[in-house]
Amino acid sequence: MDRDALGAILEVYDREERFLLPILQDIQERFRHLPREALTETARYLAVPESRVFAVATFYKAFSFTPKGRKPIKVCMGTACHLRGASTLLEELERELDLSVGKTTSDGQFSLETVNCLGACALAPVFTVEDRVYGKAEGRLAEILERERKS
Amino acid sequence: MITLIINGLKVTVPEGTTILEAARRLDVEIPTLCHHEGLSPQGSCRLCMVEIEQRGRRRLVASCMFPVAEGLVVETETETVAGARRFVLGLLRDRCPRSEEIAALAARYGAKPFGRLPLGERDLCIHCDRCVRACEEEATGCIAFSFRGWARRVEGPFGEAPADCIGCGACAQVCPTGFIAVEEEGGMRKIWGKSFELLRCSACGKPFATREELVFQGLDEGDLLCDRCRKREFAASFTRGVR
Ligand code: FES
Ligand code: FES
Repeated sequence: MDRDALGAILEVYDREERFLLPILQDIQERFRHLPREALTETARYLAVPESRVFAVATFYKAFSFTPKGRKPIKVCMGTACHLRGASTLLEELERELDLSVGKTTSDGQFSLETVNCLGACALAPVFTVEDRVYGKAEGRLAEILERERKS
Repeated sequence: MITLIINGLKVTVPEGTTILEAARRLDVEIPTLCHHEGLSPQGSCRLCMVEIEQRGRRRLVASCMFPVAEGLVVETETETVAGARRFVLGLLRDRCPRSEEIAALAARYGAKPFGRLPLGERDLCIHCDRCVRACEEEATGCIAFSFRGWARRVEGPFGEAPADCIGCGACAQVCPTGFIAVEEEGGMRKIWGKSFELLRCSACGKPFATREELVFQGLDEGDLLCDRCRKREFAASFTRGVR
């Protein structure tokens, strides 16, 4: 783990417990997961029990303990998307990427996860790559992923 | 001071008292699970529900959290209250079918398991958070609830034996269902996957506390007195010379 990078994240915040969540968010963003060492260091920095840090880290789905891809793919399983075939979309993505939900490709480029409503129901079924939104993309998946792979 | 009425009885208590505390003063019994006198209130089990009437409106509140108010009218045994308790206990019967404590409470209120929760591995934990609060407030805060939903469980960080545990056993002491395992044998205490050597009381010789506990409390190993002997000494210090 890059200790300097962690130090740079921590020093922005005062040593107050209320900054636990934003710190964890920054760590997740920088390292694409929460390295154990970083959690221990955060607990020490904030003088909060490690148990509390672990509790918060395991509570939110936005955090992960294994590295997510550089381009996380989120497939919406919300009501609108569900009705419009989100599960088929997910299956197709899994097949195209040769990847199952919760996993990351071996080159570390993509990871696949499901979320509940991305707030773009009019485009259902929706998925995002990083923060690019793709709606009603049936039949265009291979093409979209090809472009994403190269960019 | 604030005067309120509980089950038709008047009681006057200081501001900030909870309904539960006021009721106990009147010897009115209200069942509780997540509440513990020595710990900050949490209000999560909803077993202590009572009915209150305020400005002409009746509603259910958690008596362990609700502060008394002037002229408040409280009923602790109405049909609505009994229904709320039966509901909570029914769910707990589903959650912890093996708990004798829950079974006894359920029998008292005529609560039956709903049988609707997915079956599977069931432990004795009712998620009342008493152990976590005890550890946080009395010791090092080495355990907490991690994960969420069905996976939610109390454990040390990273699901391992908690490095900061001092073996005081406060968590096990406040656990209402006996979920937290603590074993004492041959002068050792085993808890949370760790083993602690027990030090002996210098008066009665009973093994009673871990070294880590003493260090945490900033006590000396010199005057090692177990709770009972300490109380005896304390009482003796008053009567000394009087007798
Ligand atoms: S349900 Fe998918 S974006 Fe709202
Ligand atoms: S005792 Fe009041 S909510 Fe649990």
